[in-house]
Amino acid sequence: MTATTNTAATTNTVDHATYTAVAQFLAHEARLLDEGREQEWFELLDDDLLYTVPSRQSTEPRSAEINRNAWRIRDTKAHVRTRIARQNTGKAYSEVPPSRTMRLVGSIEVAATTEPDVVEAHSSLLLYRQRGIDVHFDLIPCRRNDRIRLTDAGPRLLAREVILTETSIKTANLGVFL
Amino acid sequence: MTTTHEPHSAFATPLDALLDRVEKDMQDDLVPAEIFNNDEVFRAEMERIFTTTWVFVAHETEIPNAGDFVQRKIGLDPVIVTRDGKGGINVLSNYCRHRGTQVCQTDAGNSRFFTCPYHGWTYANDGKLVGTPLMHRAYGQPLDPEQWGLKRAAKVATRNGFVFAALSDDVPPLDEWLGGAGWMLDVITQLHPDGMRVAGPPERYIVNGDWKTAGENFAGDVYHLPTLHTSIQEVEMIEGLQGTCEIARTYEFENGHTFIGHAWTEAIGPFFTHWGYGALEGYTEHFDLSGFDETQKFVAEHQPPTVGTIFPNLSFIRIFSPLPDGPPGVFTSFRQWQPVAPGKLELWNWQFVWKFQDEESAQRDYVGGQYCFGSAGLYEQDDTVAWEGVQRAAASPWMRKEGMKFNYQQGNNSPVDQTPDPDWKGPGIHRNTGYGEHVQFNFLRQWLRTMKGDRA
Repeated sequence: MTATTNTAATTNTVDHATYTAVAQFLAHEARLLDEGREQEWFELLDDDLLYTVPSRQSTEPRSAEINRNAWRIRDTKAHVRTRIARQNTGKAYSEVPPSRTMRLVGSIEVAATTEPDVVEAHSSLLLYRQRGIDVHFDLIPCRRNDRIRLTDAGPRLLAREVILTETSIKTANLGVFL
Repeated sequence: MTTTHEPHSAFATPLDALLDRVEKDMQDDLVPAEIFNNDEVFRAEMERIFTTTWVFVAHETEIPNAGDFVQRKIGLDPVIVTRDGKGGINVLSNYCRHRGTQVCQTDAGNSRFFTCPYHGWTYANDGKLVGTPLMHRAYGQPLDPEQWGLKRAAKVATRNGFVFAALSDDVPPLDEWLGGAGWMLDVITQLHPDGMRVAGPPERYIVNGDWKTAGENFAGDVYHLPTLHTSIQEVEMIEGLQGTCEIARTYEFENGHTFIGHAWTEAIGPFFTHWGYGALEGYTEHFDLSGFDETQKFVAEHQPPTVGTIFPNLSFIRIFSPLPDGPPGVFTSFRQWQPVAPGKLELWNWQFVWKFQDEESAQRDYVGGQYCFGSAGLYEQDDTVAWEGVQRAAASPWMRKEGMKFNYQQGNNSPVDQTPDPDWKGPGIHRNTGYGEHVQFNFLRQWLRTMKGDRA
């Protein structure tokens, strides 16, 4: 692939320290979620969070696959707070006991934006999930387009767009954060 | 294998003997578990139900323009639902007439033609065969475009924009088939004469539950709310779950179509009319119920349907709900339980909004609806997982050996008065309680009638 096809990554390059901080952040939040530490994860969300899972269908041209005006999920921070509160009731039965998960985060690209304290991060996520007494497991493959705010207290998730690889998903629900 | 030894015979039940057993057990308000996960039952359902009855395929607002199409399912069969150049709606088999390869590989789009990738047979979006490569050498003259067109559903008809198709000529007219369910569909979607539209394409996901389990749940299983959905009450997005059966009202129609509603104005207050739309800004001032009969007006205002199932596999839900990020909303979802395999379905979920709503209001109801009912819905996450157990029990060797039957005996056991409302002026049967499991049985009786080949 030629360099000209990937101008975003080359012209908006961030320094090594920023890349490392963002990559560490993505790894850390994945571990918090895998370890059932949702409340600590919640502290890493920016107050202006927008977390979306847009619709994906099989289409031609391929560029029409993602419909950003249609969603499985379109959450603000308040929505996420209530999701976590519901899980914490111990009566959100599809997650009693919570799924055992392993989030594999990779292919991380970080780019500067026009806002000095905000970077873009693109990553792929493969979420392994085994629920309850299931002997089988679910895989949720997706890509994530994030906007991350760099604050004095550390990176904060400002926006996450989850592009599911599948049009029809094979897991029982999206009761786990991606 | 011996056929005289009792326990063994449970494993070798011919389908028709099983159906006879189901009929007998249902007289005692019992249902053999195995119907919810059985290869023979499933195959028969695909043949005896899905090729013989009206099945929902699309809403007209999904294909508003000439050339628009969506790919759908009738049972296991992929169909293309198209809007042709004359404005007509076509429901076409997605199997090429030459060798069967699927001529459409996308979920939605706009195209005048569908070309098979195998040998290039090309069809217009009304199904006619319009091209065969190397025609002069391969066939000498054009093949008959009608005879060799894509197979068409025998019947296609619409009600309030809902497109239904039947793969058999031997069906009653759609409005007759829907009967009371059509009357109720008017109540749900015609509060404004312009009606409703899909808010977006359907989201789809696999549920390890049988399509009938989903159908009977949405026929009106309000009994599960205080248990399965108690977490929703604890985060203050609903209240009074313990009273759900007390304030529920059933609507049992012919052909298995079934709805259940709640007496909201009685339970919450006189302001809480029309599903709770009456308590919100921006809805009831647009409503025009002048086309409704008196009973429809009463139902819409005071005891509107909360959920319902149109046999075989189209269901509906409309609920009022507080939201974490602002004022409450009222959400409308239609969903289809697409059978995939015994004990396995694919859920197709559409949020609907009113055509009169502006973009901001429509988006709010769309997003709020997904927050409650959808793959990440706070309610639905738990429903779909609970349904997994039904089909597992149904396939259990031990339970089959035991001949396990599920208990649908609330009707006889409950001391609550469940007699049909003698003053009911609408179609079908109306009961003033959610106790009794009558709604689930109305759905399952139609299933049994259809499986046995009886005409309703």
